[in-house]
Amino acid sequence: MSKALRRTHLYQFHKQNAKMIEFASFQMPIWYKGIIPEHMAVRTRVGIFDITHMGRALINGAKSEAFLNYVITNDASVLTPLSAQYSTMCNENGGVKDDLIVSRLEQERFLMVYNAANREKDYQWLLENAKAFNVEVEDASDNIAMFAVQGPNAQSTLQRIADTDLGKIERFKCGWTKLADVDGFVSRTGYTGEDGFEVFVLNTPLSNPQNAVKVWNAILKAGEEFGIEPCGLGARDTLRLEAGMCLYGNDIDEVTTPLEAGLGFVVKLKKDSFIGKDALTTQKTEGIKRKRVGLRMLEKGIPRPKQEVWKDNTQKIGFVTSGTFSPLLECGIAMAYISIEHAVEGETVMVKVRGKPLKAEIVKFPLYDPTKYGHARQR
Amino acid sequence: MRVLDYEIPDKLYYSKEHEWVHLEGKEAVVGITDYAQKQLHEIVYVEVQKEGSVVKQFETMGTVESVKSVSDIFSPVTGKISKVNNELTDSPELLNQDPYGKGWLAKISLTDFKKDMEKLLTPAQYADYIKTMET
Repeated sequence: MSKALRRTHLYQFHKQNAKMIEFASFQMPIWYKGIIPEHMAVRTRVGIFDITHMGRALINGAKSEAFLNYVITNDASVLTPLSAQYSTMCNENGGVKDDLIVSRLEQERFLMVYNAANREKDYQWLLENAKAFNVEVEDASDNIAMFAVQGPNAQSTLQRIADTDLGKIERFKCGWTKLADVDGFVSRTGYTGEDGFEVFVLNTPLSNPQNAVKVWNAILKAGEEFGIEPCGLGARDTLRLEAGMCLYGNDIDEVTTPLEAGLGFVVKLKKDSFIGKDALTTQKTEGIKRKRVGLRMLEKGIPRPKQEVWKDNTQKIGFVTSGTFSPLLECGIAMAYISIEHAVEGETVMVKVRGKPLKAEIVKFPLYDPTKYGHARQR
Repeated sequence: MRVLDYEIPDKLYYSKEHEWVHLEGKEAVVGITDYAQKQLHEIVYVEVQKEGSVVKQFETMGTVESVKSVSDIFSPVTGKISKVNNELTDSPELLNQDPYGKGWLAKISLTDFKKDMEKLLTPAQYADYIKTMET
């Protein structure tokens, strides 16, 4: 029997204002006004996303840090309280179980946020591996609402309803703050490439959604003067693709390693034993055979997942894992895995778009000009 | 006429795949309906088979893509493509803005429209069909 689709606290808002789709067993908005205007709102002003469908686990105990350093590939020991890091979590073969953000709330208390599609898998994996460490792993997914407020005006928007100075929270740092008089937690992170915050409304179960709805509405109101738009999963996908961020299930999975995905910066091989370390060490020594690259179409046409990438029409060198139309660049863009000898920036390759070879250039991430867009833009 | 949120002009024929046909003598102008463009939303790419291609009723004659999705365009009639609307290459949004006008896809020299017509819908039939899609 199929399970009923899950909803978030904002279901009524979404249903009234957005086109809805099923995603990871949730009913979620794909767009309100449209993917393109929502995308551009985030790149040029500010947008808000309901990302309550994501998985969240709290990890408590004296050995939390040691436990995390065993299950994730990044080094959690460098995290000071109220700071966050991106990481992968691997299987014994070095394949990616998931990618996630870990935040250190207190010395012995961490919050992990992972993909909606992996909620059950990750929680079980954490529980299983926590036994040896005597730490408590709590699935907090259903008790917390989570919104992403992203774009150059994200801070100005949130500051209007926050009771602490958000300017003091640097990128990949976190803080406790009231938002519209509701207890909240924010981290300066996101999935768009832009400056922005991920906002957590705590202790707000679905059965009692008032606080989540209150904060959501307050953010929309506070962002009015900046031209805020509620944004759906459609814009979330085009934004992350332009920024070069992986989508689990498309660009990374259990048979892809973080090294192949270009995520070597979150693999700390100098750490003590961690799951996947041996396999990743071997791969690092032998060298990767394929690599994730960015593609920008030089001809009209939109690359889509599973389409083949060829060199000179004679040699198949890889395949597309994510592809879309870039609202900012107004052309087709993609992520693809291609054999290492061909993974050279500036090279021209062919993407077989429905059988037709179309020229594309291998480009570095992000796909936009980082001096004009994204968190590092020159103001 | 207007049914629900969708425009359904009176003088056209329709297919269940949401294409329209406007008869002009021995030729037909074809395109996608208002319902189709609203379902696709934000069309960013259109490709129609080359002029001179022979197309058969209800077989693929092209592709239309929105940001997130790819859909086939099925020819509502049988014949030979005599003209393609090349403006769509640079302005695919015309399909959203004016699906029955500037967003036309192609002109097709008809082989046997009487036969095609048997399998097409009148505006009233298409309106009823749309209503069943929406419920």
